[in-house]
Amino acid sequence: MFSNTKCECGHQNHAGTVLCESCGKPLTEEWAGNPETPLEMRYDGVARRSQKANPDLLDRVWNFFSSVKVAVWLIVLTLIGASLGTIYPQENTFLNLQTYQEFHDYYKEHYGTAGVVYHALGLSRVYSSWWFIGLLVMIGTSLVICSLDRVLPLYRALSKQQIRKHMQFISRQQVTYSGPEPVNKEAWLDSFGKELKRKRYKVWRDGDALMAEKNRFSRWGPYINHIGLIIFLLAVLGRNVPAWNMDQYVSLDEGETEQIPGTNYFVKNEKFTVEYYTDAELPPTLKGTERPKLFETKATLYVCTESCDDPSKDPVLSPVKTHDIRVNHPLSYKGLKLYQYDYTPKPKLVSVSPMLVDKKTGEQYGPFTLSMRNPALTYRAGPYTLTLKDKFMDFGLDDQGRPMTKSREPNAPAFVFIIQGPDLPETGETYIYFPQQIDKVKFRQDVLNKAIADKLDIRVPSMSGVVLSENTSTLNVRVDRAMPFIWTGAAIFMIGVAMGLYWHHRRIWLRFDDGVLSLGAHTNKNNYGLRMEVAAAMTKAGLPVSDKSLDNRRKSP
Amino acid sequence: MSLLDFSQKALLAALLIYSASFIFFMIAVGGKKWSNREPAAHSRRWGWTGFGFAAAGWAAHVTFFVTRWVAGGHIPTSNMYEFMTMLAMAIMLAFIVIYLIYKNALLGAFTLPLTVIIIAYASVFPSEIQPLIPSLNSNWLRVHVTTAALGEAFFAVGFAAALVQLLRVIDYKRTDKAGKRARRWMEVFLLVILMVIGFLLSVFSFRAAGYQAEFHQVITKEDDLGQQQTTERQVVYGLPPIVKPYSSDTVEIDSFLGMKKPLFAAPPWLKGVNAERKLNTILWSIISGLILYGLLRLIARKQLGAVIHPHLSDIDPDDLDEISYRSIAIGYPIFTLGGLIFAMIWAQIAWSRFWGWDPKEVWALITWLFYTAYLHLRLSRGWHGAKSAWLAVIGFLVVLFTLIGVNLVIAGLHSYAGVS
Repeated sequence: MFSNTKCECGHQNHAGTVLCESCGKPLTEEWAGNPETPLEMRYDGVARRSQKANPDLLDRVWNFFSSVKVAVWLIVLTLIGASLGTIYPQENTFLNLQTYQEFHDYYKEHYGTAGVVYHALGLSRVYSSWWFIGLLVMIGTSLVICSLDRVLPLYRALSKQQIRKHMQFISRQQVTYSGPEPVNKEAWLDSFGKELKRKRYKVWRDGDALMAEKNRFSRWGPYINHIGLIIFLLAVLGRNVPAWNMDQYVSLDEGETEQIPGTNYFVKNEKFTVEYYTDAELPPTLKGTERPKLFETKATLYVCTESCDDPSKDPVLSPVKTHDIRVNHPLSYKGLKLYQYDYTPKPKLVSVSPMLVDKKTGEQYGPFTLSMRNPALTYRAGPYTLTLKDKFMDFGLDDQGRPMTKSREPNAPAFVFIIQGPDLPETGETYIYFPQQIDKVKFRQDVLNKAIADKLDIRVPSMSGVVLSENTSTLNVRVDRAMPFIWTGAAIFMIGVAMGLYWHHRRIWLRFDDGVLSLGAHTNKNNYGLRMEVAAAMTKAGLPVSDKSLDNRRKSP
Repeated sequence: MSLLDFSQKALLAALLIYSASFIFFMIAVGGKKWSNREPAAHSRRWGWTGFGFAAAGWAAHVTFFVTRWVAGGHIPTSNMYEFMTMLAMAIMLAFIVIYLIYKNALLGAFTLPLTVIIIAYASVFPSEIQPLIPSLNSNWLRVHVTTAALGEAFFAVGFAAALVQLLRVIDYKRTDKAGKRARRWMEVFLLVILMVIGFLLSVFSFRAAGYQAEFHQVITKEDDLGQQQTTERQVVYGLPPIVKPYSSDTVEIDSFLGMKKPLFAAPPWLKGVNAERKLNTILWSIISGLILYGLLRLIARKQLGAVIHPHLSDIDPDDLDEISYRSIAIGYPIFTLGGLIFAMIWAQIAWSRFWGWDPKEVWALITWLFYTAYLHLRLSRGWHGAKSAWLAVIGFLVVLFTLIGVNLVIAGLHSYAGVS
């Protein structure tokens, strides 16, 4: 179908144009037919890119996403979907559950039939569901297409505006004035223009027609904030790139050093502190409760410089950063971040400083320091030499009665030494040592050591010879290379949204016809402010009007 | 007098001055047709008086906030009492800004009671200063909470203007279906407001009377190993028990209107912290709200909206439309910054991830999406007038659910705010 889109002023408009791009005359039946109502000024009445005569498939897809109606529906559906996910806790809040069945049982036990339905419908994992992510992707598509569809025609329309507008365009604005022309037309126009310039308008003249405009940049606000959102959404997708993202947990006793999995870094827990508020610091109702005041891991981050992957050698570490990791104060080094995640109050031995005692003479030799995690291989105690032959961090016996370790944690440490010295065979005697008294009794150290148990004893003389770790500190290690893009997107969004909502694009058109002054003014937001501004400028130029009388909506019955 | 006592007195002063300001704004709006006066001059004079009191009340309110900050050593925004009083302060700031732009006395007549109700609601919660737990000990607490509250405060002012606009534009002469429906929804909405007032009235009157009912609850459950696990606890009510905790015995109960025992017991499936007490409070709110509504209807002998409507006839609904929209447009960027972006920055520092789909985060996003939809419908789809006013009203209900409902109903990382 062919429709004539040429305006009476001679301008050839695109199909779908509502107001002539040049003179502003209403073109469509809907608007031309009813001369009373104020005009619809969205996008200045230009045709959007999607308004084509014969759309093909690609055009139809484009048209679908270019609709603000569709965009609002997408927003509303996302909103509803997101709210459904807050009815019961999401699956990812339960770190100890894994399988479908475990989750099913959990929801059944805690929330009954409603919980079963909730879980079966997949509402317990809404935010990772295909349809929710699909909605977000569609919102992203809509953002791109809606913006492109409107910004280019709008840019074209605003960059070449005609100063003398069609009479209907002026008289059908939201803010209008019509009255006899002032006595000295030229002088009045000059001083009106000057008043507007003082209010930071740009003023153009074309004969006795005038156009003034300010804050055009605010029209680009929505498109800039949409660009920000697109960057944000792309960055969120980018977080799924494995190399960009790491999420690991490292549990450390005091004094322990561990490698951060998948990296060249090691981290050491120098000391962990937990503090609670004292009763004096607490208000009456909280007295006697344990209200945490501080969790802190004094940590050192090391980078491995040599023999990192060689299991037969100890890695060579050089410290790169020391930091007191607290909640709200992570350690940060080259994009690697270590957060205080949790702690477990579980006392563990770090090291002991025992003496070697000759049971017959009562003579004591030493002390020597024995570290649980990184023990040295030989020790000297007076005339004796102890060589570490084997160690079991969590001592136990397997089903054939042979010693084994149940875990890597020093829950029940045991050390097997070869002791050499006076009155002992050249090759030495084997001696098994349990630093913890409870293990010594439980595993019957003296029976295991047989004859040598009557001669020698390894004994910690006092508690000062024992170093304990009170707590195990769990650190969350993160790498998130998408974060700079997330913040960039958010910042651009904020700039765009502030531009669009805190500044208002204002335009004023004025013309004289047969002794009648006609003025129309438009703003995309805050008509009230525009009326005040126009009324003030007209009054100062010598044509007193009240701001209320300019309101075109009020004039229509 | 300690600094904290002084602080509490300042809040009480603010509350009283706000109430006075409310009355002056009412005179400004309602007294225009009184004899021997020129309506515009009357409205202006009483409007400025009301505004002067509102500003003075706000000064007292800020005094409360600052002295409490000094006394507690940390910004008073870390539990429900502190947050709600701060929100009220933010609403008054937003009101002052919008009033200075539009100078509309009606806005005062509707914003001030909202502020007073919020402060009264805050006083339901324990007001003692609690020392900060480590996760709240951050500069971002200050930035995030205050900015988010300020954004929400502008939404509140937009809500007040939209409510007046609706009361103004609903046609009480129309008898067709759409007209009836609009009127009915307005009555429902006014009823909800009366329930909030009913809740406050019952809590404060029973608190003043020193009412107390105590129950001993014994719950026996079978654990995973098939063994009987028994938990016992004491439950104390401040309101007469309509519903008592599941599987509990009365320890002591003050008599109220001859009511000496609970009417029925809560069902066993009710879960959550103090769920029975909350259910009891909700029942009280509904009943007292209904009673209040019934009484008012009996006195007025017509719909409550129809009572207010005639007082608004000389007001231009387009002005209200613009005020409501403008307020939301000012609040939207502030809310985005405080409620989402600062929140994400803090979450990244404190919880190692900027977004974790915690219920409070989700509801902040829902609030944001809702106002995003509002702006798009308005700017691109031409939703003005009543449609957009209904959205502004619903939007503020979403805000209130995000602020209060999430903490009361859904547990999550934000549930530490003192809500007992």
